Amino acid sequence: MIRNWLSRYSFRYPRAIVYMLQASEYNLRDYFAWYHNVKNFANVEQRKQFVKTAKGTLLLVIAWIFIFFIVCFSSLILWFGTFPLKYILAAITLLVAPYLLAYGITVPLFVIRIFIQLPVEYFLIKQARRRLKNHKAVKIGVAGSFGKTTMREILRTVLAEGKNAVAPPHSYNTPLGISQFVKKLSGREEVLIFELGEYYPGDVRKLCNLVQPDIGVITGINEAHLQKFKELGRTAKTIYELADYLQGKPIYVNGESEIALENARPGHTIYSRKGIENWKVKNEKSDLNGTLFTLTGNGELSLKSGLLGLHQIGPLLVAFHISSALGLSHEQIKKGIEKTRPFEHRLEPKIDGTGVITLDDTYNGNPDGVKAAVEFLGSLKAHRRFYVTPGLVEMGSHTEKVHRDIGRNLARACIEKVVLIKNSVTHYIEQGLKEEKYGGEILWFDNALVAFAALPYLTVKGDIVLLQNDWPDQYQ
Amino acid sequence: MNIMKKNVAVIFGGRSAEHDVSVITAHTPIIQSLISVGEFEVWPVYISKDGSWYSDQTMNDIAYFKREDFQTCLKRQKKVQILFDDGLKLVWPGILSKTIIHINVVFPAMHGTFGEDGSLMGLLRMANVPFVGCDLFASAVAMDKVLTKQVIAAEGIPVVPYVWFLKSDWKKNRNFLPEKAAKLKWPLFVKPVHLGSSIAISKVKDQTELENAIEVAFHYDDKVLVEESVQNLIEVTLPIIGNEELQLGAIERPLNKTEFFDFSDKYLSGNKKGKGANNMYSEIPANIDAEFVKQVENLGRRTYRALGCSGIARIDFLIESVSKQVYVNEVNTLPGSLYHHNWKRVGVSGVELVKRLIVLAEERFKSRSGITYVFDSDILKKIS
Repeated sequence: MIRNWLSRYSFRYPRAIVYMLQASEYNLRDYFAWYHNVKNFANVEQRKQFVKTAKGTLLLVIAWIFIFFIVCFSSLILWFGTFPLKYILAAITLLVAPYLLAYGITVPLFVIRIFIQLPVEYFLIKQARRRLKNHKAVKIGVAGSFGKTTMREILRTVLAEGKNAVAPPHSYNTPLGISQFVKKLSGREEVLIFELGEYYPGDVRKLCNLVQPDIGVITGINEAHLQKFKELGRTAKTIYELADYLQGKPIYVNGESEIALENARPGHTIYSRKGIENWKVKNEKSDLNGTLFTLTGNGELSLKSGLLGLHQIGPLLVAFHISSALGLSHEQIKKGIEKTRPFEHRLEPKIDGTGVITLDDTYNGNPDGVKAAVEFLGSLKAHRRFYVTPGLVEMGSHTEKVHRDIGRNLARACIEKVVLIKNSVTHYIEQGLKEEKYGGEILWFDNALVAFAALPYLTVKGDIVLLQNDWPDQYQ
Repeated sequence: MNIMKKNVAVIFGGRSAEHDVSVITAHTPIIQSLISVGEFEVWPVYISKDGSWYSDQTMNDIAYFKREDFQTCLKRQKKVQILFDDGLKLVWPGILSKTIIHINVVFPAMHGTFGEDGSLMGLLRMANVPFVGCDLFASAVAMDKVLTKQVIAAEGIPVVPYVWFLKSDWKKNRNFLPEKAAKLKWPLFVKPVHLGSSIAISKVKDQTELENAIEVAFHYDDKVLVEESVQNLIEVTLPIIGNEELQLGAIERPLNKTEFFDFSDKYLSGNKKGKGANNMYSEIPANIDAEFVKQVENLGRRTYRALGCSGIARIDFLIESVSKQVYVNEVNTLPGSLYHHNWKRVGVSGVELVKRLIVLAEERFKSRSGITYVFDSDILKKIS
């Protein structure tokens, strides 16, 4: 306990403070929530490290200057002070210095934001909006609590078979990220696909005003970021800001997401693994090699994708439908769907030299995605299966229910080994497992890094290890 | 929660040419696996090259031994003392009090001299503590390549023709060499008999090379083995675990380009690829005739029993693929990194391997506890 308290007075403390700001993406609410949870500031940089960006370095310099002044101030009190309580005042100044720094650092941050960041961002966004308004490409906006990146990549891969289709890389789904991408457009693109990220009410509307989509896809609504939205109704309203913007233009809604379906309006196109409009799916099958299915409707089409899990059929159908509408032939679409592969850290299979298969699903941290991953893992019956998770974050008031459900689903899928990381949520998974009379083995680890280090010693050739979600340093 | 955990001491390092290899074996897979089990409190016991004993749980991370200031850190460490008092205890003396940990099981991870050669096992027998792996007798015999051949040949197990001699004989007179070598077919292998990890082994094609190779071998050992090289060679190795009931690993064939599986192939080449020892340089299971598989498995079991091995060992074989003759080459009572890559291929994970080895150690200890070692006599009273 004393060591924890003393960590506030170590040389690493200023760096820890700036790292926490940086890792919280300079969101003060997240930063303070994290700050108040930290016990030992010597250990905050675990999963990542402070990155020396211009903003981060500037803040670090300011932090040290602040400390320098505090030390000077205390010394001056001791040196020149003539009043009797000078020792107490100097000691108090030094004692409260770490707390002053933690709060005081937000002042320069605020100044940087108001006088530099916001004007630059405003200019960039305005410029991007103007460029997009004049751009002739068909613009597709993808909104939802989950599955946006997968949908974006499926659309890009399939549409690229017949169109010059591009999308921002990585998870560029904020106004600034999208604006930076727009700057690089040549003007010759025929289709632009944008992920519309949502953290707070109004986010999707702002992004719609920026990208001005012609087609919308709502991939689903669930508890992701519920801590910020507080209630699912608000999440749904925010995501449906895309439908509000499009008004009568084509909107695709994931019928497998209960809340998304409840909010769907007449005229919206509902898709699911069963089909889309008059196209129906049959003979669907998914294993480690990919997903196969036949589409029947106005003809018959056998399709094969490298994506894993039957839940991928719905998004593939959206790509099929939009591509058809934009004039791609069935042959082109079939070729495009064949080219779809698992994306980085999203149910991405990897096999190591010892024959252990890892399904890297560390970027999947939402209840629907987890349900789909467990369903897929459960279908791989010829293997011994490990499910490794620290649980999900930001589930707000649904935290207990969401995690109990995960436990129950794992027990029903008869996963042989469940590897849990000790934190504030995984005991709910254990409860869910016990409720369903789980017959496998639960293995506990103090943190994810220890679990990852142990996995090579727990597994043998042919085992499948599903890594589900990964917690950044700010969650415990 | 820790109160219920068994204290397992992993002893590694030591005054041996294979000191560094031992550090690797101790951590990968032993300590990592023991920690992963979650049922053990792991106490790393490191013996430095000068023979000092240390134990600190920060040594459970191999990074400790890779630090540039490793020697400085080590000097700052308090040495650990060993107490033989109703079992084995680790003792860290302090100014006012001392810390004592009662060790439930020892996991030796020392290769070569003072460890794998039975010395450590003797110490642990004296301490009356269960320990993993082969006991004193098997370890001592297996450490001597000549003794191994003599013991297993007496049991009718085929070995490659060989001769041997001591450093004292060599110093006195070298004239016996041509006569001894004449009994063998060239080219020949020269090996120090007590060293593992293929250190100082040479293949020679004429008398001059032979003399030079013997000089090199005597630099490391006082007993040297000269044996025929096997033509049309297929080298394979077979890891085995068990006391009474034996479980065989996969027959593994090194795919090295050199003429024999040397130190760098075993411990360095694989690591360069980041895949662990042997991984890139072995075929598992070896793609050999079913007839060879049968012979290797049969000879492996017989050799394991003939030497009195227990816990774990690895038997190396030389196969003359044309004449279809299978020879047992040598026995390793502490395979580097326990050959966990091999066990993994046959469905035994690192965690399962170390757990099984600890159970075997406890079983052997229990069975031995029924043996009467002392009896009362009045012989002393009779002495006037």
